[in-house]
Amino acid sequence: MNEDRIQTFTEEIGELKLRGARADRERWLLILGGLGLIAGVGLAVFGGFQASGTTVLGDQIAFLATGTLIGLALVIAGAALFIRYSIARFMRFWLVRLVHEHRSETDRVIKALGDIEAKLNK
Amino acid sequence: MTQPILELRNVRASYGSIEVLHGVNLSVGRGEVVALLGPNGAGKSTMIKVVSGLLRPTSGQLIVGGRDVTGAAANALARAGLCTIPEGRGIFPNLTVRENLLMATYSGHKLADIEESTYARFPRLSERRTQLAGTMSGGEQQMLSLARALATDPVILLLDELSMGLAPLIVAELYQQVAAIAAEGVSVLVVEQFARTVLGVADQAVLLAHGKVQVAGKASEIGEDVLAGAYLGS
Repeated sequence: MNEDRIQTFTEEIGELKLRGARADRERWLLILGGLGLIAGVGLAVFGGFQASGTTVLGDQIAFLATGTLIGLALVIAGAALFIRYSIARFMRFWLVRLVHEHRSETDRVIKALGDIEAKLNK
Repeated sequence: MTQPILELRNVRASYGSIEVLHGVNLSVGRGEVVALLGPNGAGKSTMIKVVSGLLRPTSGQLIVGGRDVTGAAANALARAGLCTIPEGRGIFPNLTVRENLLMATYSGHKLADIEESTYARFPRLSERRTQLAGTMSGGEQQMLSLARALATDPVILLLDELSMGLAPLIVAELYQQVAAIAAEGVSVLVVEQFARTVLGVADQAVLLAHGKVQVAGKASEIGEDVLAGAYLGS
């Protein structure tokens, strides 16, 4: 490979744009989902109470539209986010546990083989 | 000593809240073959993901060509010349060999040139040029993925489990090609679970276990006892 190619490579790398620091996106989306869920339930209940507290049809529709409907939308979106990231975390921990158990099992087998070898050599 | 073309400095990486790499260091020089070894779950493929830009480290630095590129997009790194051959080959099984090579022309090279260099390096692919890639043997598919990678004129080549599912004879043949590629000046970082197959062509070796570098040094100095210790955890 010639020096020109290395030079081009270094120049292109030098011109790369870098992304800013990013926090743990998954954790934040999980929290956001949970908050959305709680806020949605609150908004839906609030809209329902407000709508039932008036006999004016126009007000009832306004309370239902701005409170209950938006609340329900928040509940659905929040629940989807919460479930999606909760399952991902649970599955990952489950996988780690499997790997850990597998390693422990391997350690036990190696120890048992070592013990057998030691006894045979006596 | 010249500056390394690729470096990882105290890199930590995690999937969600689970940390997989706990502060690893790695250095690849120009035209060097570095073997990244270790048992299943050691963090080898995660390291490749960090190097290729697919996974952003939680801390530490990725230095390429002397510049800190931590957080750079994978496609930008690939366009510059950092090429990855992923585990499982990464070819288009429903396309012919020639069509697969055509896909590599995005890098700006002409198909005729790519074909010429590919068939010179892998004559067997020349006989298979009209065959669907998915119907070829595992070794031939791996040759095709190597050929596609080389068509992009890479400066750094990342190979993830080249030997997966292949017969030892084919693996040895492929690693001879890897040695030839490195001799042309391409730096190669190769992840391999089967240590013996790669140590013959590697200049340096890094043994990874439980997300930490256990041993790093010249490949020729990595003995059976060191390998057994890292793989069996003794």
